[in-house]
Amino acid sequence: MAATATLAASVRSRRPALTAFRKAVTRKPGRIIGLAIIVFFILLAICGPWFYGRLAVDPNSLYAAPSAKHWLGTDFAGSDVLQEVVTGGRYVLATAALSALFTSLFGVTIGLVAGYQRGLTDSALMRLTDFVLTIPGLPLLIILSTVWNFGSPWKMGLVLGVTGWGGVARAVRSQALSLRERGFLEAARGLGLSRRHILLKEMLPNVAPYAAMQLMLSMIAFIGAEVGLFFLGLVPFSSTNWGVMLNQAVFSGGAMETPSALIYLLAPLVCILVLTLGIVLFLDAIDELFNPRLRERV
Amino acid sequence: MTAFARRLAGKLAAGLVMVWVVVTFTFFLVHALPGKPGDVQYEQYIQSGMNAEQAAAKVKAIYGYTSHDSMLSQYGGYLGKLLHGDLGQSISYSGVPVSHLIWAALPWTVIPVLSGLLVSFLIGVTAGVVAAVRRSSRWGGLLTVSGSLFAGVPAFVLALLLLVVFHTEWNLLPDAGTSDIQYDPGWNLPYIGSVVQHAVLPVCAYALLSYGGWLLAMKSSVVSVLGDDFILASELRGIAPVTRARYIGRNAILPLFTVLALSFGVMFAGSFFIEDTFDYPGLGDLLLKSIGTRDYPVMAGAFLLITVSIIIANILADLCYTLIDPRVRR
Amino acid sequence: MSEVEVRDLTVEYQTSVGWLPAVAGASLDLRAGQITGLVGESGSGKSTLALSLLNAVPAPGRIAGGTIEVAGVGDLTRLGGKQLRKARGGAIGYVFQASQNSLNPLKTIGRQLLDLGRSHEVGDLRALIARAKDLANRMGLDGDRVLDSYQHELSGGMRQRVGIVFALVLNAKVLILDEPTTALDMLSQASVLDIVRKVHDENQLSTLIITHDIGAISEIADRLAVMYGGRIVEDGPLLEVLRRPTHPYTKALIGATARITGDVDGARALPGRPPDLTTVARAGCVFRDRCPFAVEVCAQTEPELHSFDSERRRACHVEPSTVLTGTTGTPAAVGEPA
Repeated sequence: MAATATLAASVRSRRPALTAFRKAVTRKPGRIIGLAIIVFFILLAICGPWFYGRLAVDPNSLYAAPSAKHWLGTDFAGSDVLQEVVTGGRYVLATAALSALFTSLFGVTIGLVAGYQRGLTDSALMRLTDFVLTIPGLPLLIILSTVWNFGSPWKMGLVLGVTGWGGVARAVRSQALSLRERGFLEAARGLGLSRRHILLKEMLPNVAPYAAMQLMLSMIAFIGAEVGLFFLGLVPFSSTNWGVMLNQAVFSGGAMETPSALIYLLAPLVCILVLTLGIVLFLDAIDELFNPRLRERV
Repeated sequence: MTAFARRLAGKLAAGLVMVWVVVTFTFFLVHALPGKPGDVQYEQYIQSGMNAEQAAAKVKAIYGYTSHDSMLSQYGGYLGKLLHGDLGQSISYSGVPVSHLIWAALPWTVIPVLSGLLVSFLIGVTAGVVAAVRRSSRWGGLLTVSGSLFAGVPAFVLALLLLVVFHTEWNLLPDAGTSDIQYDPGWNLPYIGSVVQHAVLPVCAYALLSYGGWLLAMKSSVVSVLGDDFILASELRGIAPVTRARYIGRNAILPLFTVLALSFGVMFAGSFFIEDTFDYPGLGDLLLKSIGTRDYPVMAGAFLLITVSIIIANILADLCYTLIDPRVRR
Repeated sequence: MSEVEVRDLTVEYQTSVGWLPAVAGASLDLRAGQITGLVGESGSGKSTLALSLLNAVPAPGRIAGGTIEVAGVGDLTRLGGKQLRKARGGAIGYVFQASQNSLNPLKTIGRQLLDLGRSHEVGDLRALIARAKDLANRMGLDGDRVLDSYQHELSGGMRQRVGIVFALVLNAKVLILDEPTTALDMLSQASVLDIVRKVHDENQLSTLIITHDIGAISEIADRLAVMYGGRIVEDGPLLEVLRRPTHPYTKALIGATARITGDVDGARALPGRPPDLTTVARAGCVFRDRCPFAVEVCAQTEPELHSFDSERRRACHVEPSTVLTGTTGTPAAVGEPA
């Protein structure tokens, strides 16, 4: 057991990684802002809906301008826009988180096993990965939407995960191969560790941060895809959602022609924009940890 | 046989296998769709007074097979029709071959996509060079963030924002369609002018969509080339700055061919949102409309075409790379 | 007569704790017609010194003081722009080590020679190519074939010879070779050294060879300079330095090399680690931590590089004879007199 500990420590010890991470995040103000944005949206998704009960509709004020009562005004049916944004955020983020969960489940497993086994298993798994990467994800999702109803975050997350794990698998495999090249596996095998132990206890912690970076990248794409499917009107509107808001605003609410409806249209757009910006700014820090070449000179 | 021809043959073979896999996948996908589309169609024809033979022939014309055949012969019939370039017939436009619908839609996707790709390539690559050379400065950092942002923001956000700014707010450009209806389609100046005017926003949306990818790829490529030994060597030999810039540029642009293939995928995905937002009658719009009307042959045909285009784009990008890089060419 | 005179050269790098010297007060002459070997461990500042001879210290670094007089060009540290560019390659040729890819992978060697010629505004490009082929042929290459090749079609040893062609084709009188024998097997090492000696003699050059391999350099150099912690600690005619090292570091370096002592069992590793920018001593002698002869004054005053024979210089507080005979409290780990 002691031997295991030293082996793990020799590649990356836990604590210094955390310190390096904190250093990388705090080195630029943009990265702190990015982290803050992400935390803000997560809090919004978790706590936001507590402040609102059921969606209150005020049929007397349609497309009302922002006021003390309705901070962002109301939509075409008299619902409070801020309330819709907040409750819609929960679906968007829950789906993104679930799809990330499924993606990492498939992607990390397949990438790790391919990188560990090599040979026939590797080439078979990589063929499969190539295939998943070649099939254009969005058209497939659009067609699948005729077969399945993925209105709930679970189903949507599963579908996104099943179609979107290719990139993560590739990244994890290349990372696993580089661990191999550094003689990491030979050392672990030499110590007589079981395959299960090597995969889960030795390799997984080493590829995890890199996989996390890939996951955040694919999460951006997932958010785009899920909101987009609602925007295109391909998924039944079972819940409030930024995509539903956009669809209603553009295709039935006439927001393009009604100046007073502009906020209703812009609110979800700005949310997506800011959330993307947050992830992008934050990724910059993680990227620096992995690409020393991009690191600026001291 | 030269190494290049061997590589070309290998790539083509791999591409063909991939196409075959996708075709098979599409076949079974349509099969898995609810309510067995072929059977429903068959029932409808029977109800409208056709006899069993006529109805079966009609269904066969649309799908390439009937569900009375065995699975294998259905698959064979589908493959056989595809080999003749026959994608079946549309249901909602009764009797119109799917290939006609696709041919009509294709230019409205391909031309804006290619124009957008060209614009974004020029801007993105230039910005990428600046971002790489000035990577320690504030402006370089901002450029990089702009690249990541545009690479991450979904296409419909870009399209809608463009629409809000240039149509709703400033009313500079039209919001929908390919041209104003008062002009007769054809080679006359007012019509072409109107088409160009209507194409501005979609092309901008496509350009913004792929700008980030070019910028990020070019930046990391330039950063890596700048660190190469031969760049320092050329400086120590007193090579003129213009020549050195050419060395850097040509070496840095090479890996971008992989991005080109990637961009096609992003663009096709974006075409759904962009064509939907601007009501543009391209391939994405065709696929979306076929979903709405459950026009399965059109759905399968458009999906197949998009996938095959991406496979071909991948092969072409790889070949370009091979032609330019002497290390692979040999 | 010296082709290159380096005086009091200081090169600094910017680090998180401020500007730190990688080369401190170095003075060195490259004499016409002689091969000078510059040896030191990695991190000793020898590569930085070599790059600064072209006024090409990489980005977070700068030449903070001193002069580099090159015959026919002037003080390189004061040159800039086009003059500096022309001096690089035109007056001083620099050859990368064999494992490095010093050529544009996308262009043939011949086209890159033309780029070089145009950059230096050579009038007769045909003559330039002819001279390049001649140089290549003399080094045992097939000139015509090599000029039509891409870099990836050449072996490490061939690339290096092509590097020498590039360095000399503009008639530079000073040749700098960075680790010419690293990454080559023993046979190629010997042939590269022979070739360097040959082109050196044929073209009447002043040559500087940077290496960590004191064994290889001892076979062709005329003079030897030893660097440690950014300082030149000893220099002089090769044989004299090898036979009678007067700096403890030089002595330890020679002791660690079986090829020179001729006795594998007698070869001793140097204890301790070489310093880097941040760990090098700020006051006193930079070698004192690893020095078996260190006395009290070594911790306080940095020894100056001073002449002590007609042809030799050393930077040490301890008497040359003491170092040579090694009588003072020598730890067993450091090389005993050979």
